[in-house]
Amino acid sequence: MRRGYVKPWLFGIIAGAMVVLVEAFAGLYPPAAYSFCLTCHTRDLVNTLVNGLFGAHFQTTVISRRVLMLSSPAVLIGAFAAAVLNGEFNRQKSSAPLLFFLYGALIMCIGILIFGCPTRIVIRTGYGDLFGIAALTGMAAGIWLATFLIRRRWSRSV
Amino acid sequence: MTFFSTLILVCMSMLIGFLAQRSRMCFVAGVRDYILVRDGELLLGMFSFIATIWLLTSLLYGMNILRSGVPEYGLPSVQSTLTKIGMGNLGMANLRSLVSRGPSGQLWLLLGSKFLYVTLFGGAVVGLVSTLAGGCVLRQHVLLAQGSMDSLFFLIGFYIAVIVYYGFLYRFFIRLY
Repeated sequence: MRRGYVKPWLFGIIAGAMVVLVEAFAGLYPPAAYSFCLTCHTRDLVNTLVNGLFGAHFQTTVISRRVLMLSSPAVLIGAFAAAVLNGEFNRQKSSAPLLFFLYGALIMCIGILIFGCPTRIVIRTGYGDLFGIAALTGMAAGIWLATFLIRRRWSRSV
Repeated sequence: MTFFSTLILVCMSMLIGFLAQRSRMCFVAGVRDYILVRDGELLLGMFSFIATIWLLTSLLYGMNILRSGVPEYGLPSVQSTLTKIGMGNLGMANLRSLVSRGPSGQLWLLLGSKFLYVTLFGGAVVGLVSTLAGGCVLRQHVLLAQGSMDSLFFLIGFYIAVIVYYGFLYRFFIRLY
């Protein structure tokens, strides 16, 4: 057992409680279940900047006119602090830069379309949103499909 | 209010990032690990996340602190579509109201909505691509903070895609709602 390891179920309880309490008491409201999402908050951040700098009219949500959605950089800072404090920071070279670029772009486009990164899909499921449950079902099916590809990659490499 | 809310959001996100790095939490890897090697630890993390949110939102809805509502489905056209099929009165797309009022004709309206199938298919694409990339979006942020250059390119694509989407793809994707 590594030092300072947090069990995933403990993460679930702490993060879940924070997500709901912040929405209820810090006024991150107008879209429901919106207090933590990485695609939607990144979308709001980028579109707020683009609208401010170039005068475009890209879509933003109601709450992002009051609050600057800095959750994506903040997650990076928090995780970086944890990695450095526990000596787990080591640079790994990229094997396929263009492929990962396309993966990221595809996830962002689909994420904007269905209103959520995997984290927010799970949060919406917890809220009881039927579309969130549908998205989670689809996500599980997609992962199930991808395991076949992973198994084939394993058997080819062996 | 503005600065205070931003500060709270940043603190919460930093804490989530910190804990996610310490627990290796990933919502995609939970299901993936269970299917591939029958390791249910991350899946348990996801279930405790869902259960905590379900319990707390039930409590706060009951105390009238949190207003019940569907998420934004932000575009006006989406809102009008949802209104047309009878879910514009906030809460119809929620499991709680479906249970309390009974799945009468509303369920058929839900099954007839285009957005449900877009959501199912889009969720499948997100799951497939996330698994191939090695983790959900939260996990990619954590991996970049640990020094993985794969995730750096992932996140560069992630940020650039916003401008590409609203610059070029928006007019095609809007028809899917």
